Amino acid sequence: MWLIKMAWKNMWRNRNRTFITMASIFFAVILSVTASSLKEGIFDNLVKNVVGFYTGYIQVHKHGYWDEQILENSFEASGNIEGTILQDENIARVTARLESFALASSRDITKGCLVVGIDPGKEQEITLLENKIIRGRYLDGSDNSVLLSEGLGERLNLGVADTIVLIGQGYHGATAAGKYPVKGIVRFGSPELNDKSVFMPLPAAQDFYGAYGMITSYVLSLRDNRKLHPTASALRSALGITYEVMSWEEMIPDIKQHIQSDSNNMKYVLGILYMLICFGIFGTLLMMMVERKFEMGMLVAIGMKKNKLILLQLYESVFTVVSGCLLGIAMSIPLVFYLNNHPIRMGGDTAKAYERFGFEAIFPTSLEAFIFINQGLTVLVIGLLLSLYPIYKIIRLDPVNAMRR
Amino acid sequence: MIVIMAWRNIWRNKMRSIVIMFSIATGLFAGIAVLALYKGMMKSRVRTVIDAEVGHLQVHHVDFKKDYDPKFVLEDGEKLLQAIRFLPAVKIVTPRSITSGMLATTTGSAGVQVNGVLPEREYAASRLKEKIVEGRPFDPVKKNEVMIGKKLATKMKLKTGSKLVLTFTDTSGNIVSGAFRVVAVFQSDNAPLDERNVYVKIADLNTLLTSGNSFHELVVLLENDESLEKVQQQLKKKFPAYHIESWREISPETDLLVKTTDQYSYIIMLIIMFALAFGIINTMLMAILERTREIGMMVALGINRVKLFTLVLLETIFLTLSGTPIGILAGWLVTGYFNKYGLNLSGMGREMMSSFGFGTIIYPEFPVDKLAGVLFIVAGTAIVSCLFPAMKAIRMLPVEALRR
Amino acid sequence: MRYFIFLLLFFISIFPRAQTAREIVQKADDKMRGSTSEVELTIKTTRPSWTRSLDVKAWMKGTDYSVILIQSPAKEKGIVFLKRKKEVWNWMPALERTIKLPPSMMNQSWMGTDFTNDDLVRESSVKDDYVHSIIGDTTIDRRSCYIIQMIPKPEAAVVWGKLLVYIDKKDFLELHTKFYDEEGKLINTMDAYDIRMMDGRLIPTRFVMIPEDKKNHRTEMIYRSVKYNRHIADDFFITGKMKTLN
Repeated sequence: MWLIKMAWKNMWRNRNRTFITMASIFFAVILSVTASSLKEGIFDNLVKNVVGFYTGYIQVHKHGYWDEQILENSFEASGNIEGTILQDENIARVTARLESFALASSRDITKGCLVVGIDPGKEQEITLLENKIIRGRYLDGSDNSVLLSEGLGERLNLGVADTIVLIGQGYHGATAAGKYPVKGIVRFGSPELNDKSVFMPLPAAQDFYGAYGMITSYVLSLRDNRKLHPTASALRSALGITYEVMSWEEMIPDIKQHIQSDSNNMKYVLGILYMLICFGIFGTLLMMMVERKFEMGMLVAIGMKKNKLILLQLYESVFTVVSGCLLGIAMSIPLVFYLNNHPIRMGGDTAKAYERFGFEAIFPTSLEAFIFINQGLTVLVIGLLLSLYPIYKIIRLDPVNAMRR
Repeated sequence: MIVIMAWRNIWRNKMRSIVIMFSIATGLFAGIAVLALYKGMMKSRVRTVIDAEVGHLQVHHVDFKKDYDPKFVLEDGEKLLQAIRFLPAVKIVTPRSITSGMLATTTGSAGVQVNGVLPEREYAASRLKEKIVEGRPFDPVKKNEVMIGKKLATKMKLKTGSKLVLTFTDTSGNIVSGAFRVVAVFQSDNAPLDERNVYVKIADLNTLLTSGNSFHELVVLLENDESLEKVQQQLKKKFPAYHIESWREISPETDLLVKTTDQYSYIIMLIIMFALAFGIINTMLMAILERTREIGMMVALGINRVKLFTLVLLETIFLTLSGTPIGILAGWLVTGYFNKYGLNLSGMGREMMSSFGFGTIIYPEFPVDKLAGVLFIVAGTAIVSCLFPAMKAIRMLPVEALRR
Repeated sequence: MRYFIFLLLFFISIFPRAQTAREIVQKADDKMRGSTSEVELTIKTTRPSWTRSLDVKAWMKGTDYSVILIQSPAKEKGIVFLKRKKEVWNWMPALERTIKLPPSMMNQSWMGTDFTNDDLVRESSVKDDYVHSIIGDTTIDRRSCYIIQMIPKPEAAVVWGKLLVYIDKKDFLELHTKFYDEEGKLINTMDAYDIRMMDGRLIPTRFVMIPEDKKNHRTEMIYRSVKYNRHIADDFFITGKMKTLN
């Protein structure tokens, strides 16, 4: 007990030294928390944006639809399935779509296009379709009109209030044909979507394709995006083999690859950060031991047992490291929250690239608790491991040499 | 006099000197490593898109991309090709004839884009040869050979040697078809892209398209990524009649991802520089703390404060100077090694990554251009962080400093 | 008819055997086609979960020109397809629009049947795209038939590896056809039934196509009436004409 007291007193006696050591831990925690919270936040945000603009986090189709995307692979929309899907507590929202290819035609121009039947209200909640409108107005559930993607509109020379003719192959071989007024023009960042998509309310699309009550997919949004895989597999077993459950990673593997390799590469950079943190703490401890050599030598010379000294040093280190860590976490929480509320804004070309996709050009931090805990613990472990160095020095301490200055 | 004293001081307290020297060396090394990694990543990240998919630049007829109508060939394509080919920044330029149509087999059909290519140049421009997982490259003599993607092959139950029929419109809008034989099945990282594209020899396709020696697309690969904008501007100016796009415009999604990581890297570099500065400052502070008595003694002995200040400064400069080459050398050696052998992302998810066919190896590159910057930051940090405690030491009362 | 057989024997004697096989196929083809034809037929598509029946009327002239008018179901009545050489046009009365089918639509099913739009324009010629040979004979429904093997020429735009065509020796009726892929796997089988006299010609009037590896898929075509070799002017096959049919 008296050792703890002594350690405590020691720490206060040489405040400068204690503060410097603590500061090295403190900043290490703050920096590593900020770096990894930014990393998580940025990539989550990117996924949220990319996934949010069309595919959604998870889609449910009839089994085999993904490989053969035809209307014959559609299924009947039912409250039952929707209920089963929504039973999973991680599913935030569900919206139904009926998608198929058709020909879009204006006066003399004919183009292939993707006609998507949507539930305007629910679609907006998941993919923010309404925000992509650049002219005209958004759809109403009962409308018999369409939203045209910008590129397709240009190609067909059609604007708001013009009429588009759609022709295609309906359900069970029926012929799908219809004329629709253009209610609005939407802009997508992805050229593929921007050049060939047409949106109409689900009932209108079902009528057009003669696929009454049918849909091709349920698009889901999640509460916790991190639980993508468990949620997908839970859904898979809940829905059975008549349906296929696909995560965005399976639907857009190229984007997934890019994000994965980028975030993996970033681990190297974080590795260097840890190296610097180690070196910062170690340098501090090293100099601390140089500085304390005399003092330690003295203590041993006046008859203090080395193991007591080691214990004393250990108490001091643990106090310093733990309080540095706690302070660091305590300080990083408001910092990360601040950066979440006032995210770093991107500038220049990046901002332009984001705007093109209609994303907000920001770098938010992630508020996930595990980041604070993980980073705090990592630095704590680094700090404690490095505190073994002073102990090693004490063991090797020769009081006579130590006191010679 | 002070110089000699500073020099002796360094040798007198070896431990302290070594620690400071090493903080500077480590700092420099870390700075170099981060920059080298960053540079390597920049390259490897866009590599798949540029080298295996779209190239740096693509040239089309202004109207071609609107409908992929094969009648919009590049006018005076051959002249354009030669003009681009001999630009110093250009590594490879290869022409492609493109048409969209339908691939039919006995069991079904699929919509595809048919790319007519010059085999040797295509192999260099889009690594088509390296992507082959089954079969062999194009035969220079045999006619009507086709390469198809793995996913399409599985879907259409095709393998090498299988016959398929391609149907598309020719340059005058007529529908034509030709029988082709699968010579190879390829697979890249981008499965959806593989599914949509098939490759045939340009001569075979042009015969069916009745387009003679013309083509629709030029894919330009540059010697280095940095000259992209310059070359694009240059070409746009020189050939205003054509539609000249960079990969950033062709694949905005990739551009978005790349830019995001770029920005994140800047922030991380900032954080790392902070960590570096803190590391050095802390070590220096401790070192000065240790010297309190010594400095107090010198002040008590009546040494001029300016001289004392210069002494501390000189010591730091000496140490910085000796730490610098160590750091740079270490950085150079390590990046040089990994530049040659690659930094392998072993362990974490490598299996999974390579099953995607994704490059997991980074080749860091020694950041010659940014070296001065890092040096400045590290040395600056070292000197500033030694000044700050030195000032404090000077202001200290000798009595207080000596009392221990 | 006797004259016919004489002629046939004559051909057999002076041409090599392969040439004869080709003639037989050509004759069978000519028999179904005539120089022009005006056909009313019903197309029944059967799928595991649904069936669909389509009544159409078609005018054909050679291999280059044809017009198809949909007569029922009511929703699709009046839709017209026009094929001119290698182009397909589509008249949609509901939209009052004529559309030229782009190549991207060629792999789509035609009117929900087992035929694709491409089948309408594909101009593989039974005569020129294959190498024919008689490989045997057999009897189908008490009719004695040649078994003719048709191997596509290498450059021909044909997906099949081999066709076995069973042609009636007497009346040159294509009674049975097997479609193989290049590995010799059977893909489709077509059978012809209900041989009747139509417009002075004895022809099968019901054709059934069954894909081998798709369970419960079949397409059936039933000829309701045929008129052969009536004069149809070339300007019948123009886009402007499509709206006036019915």
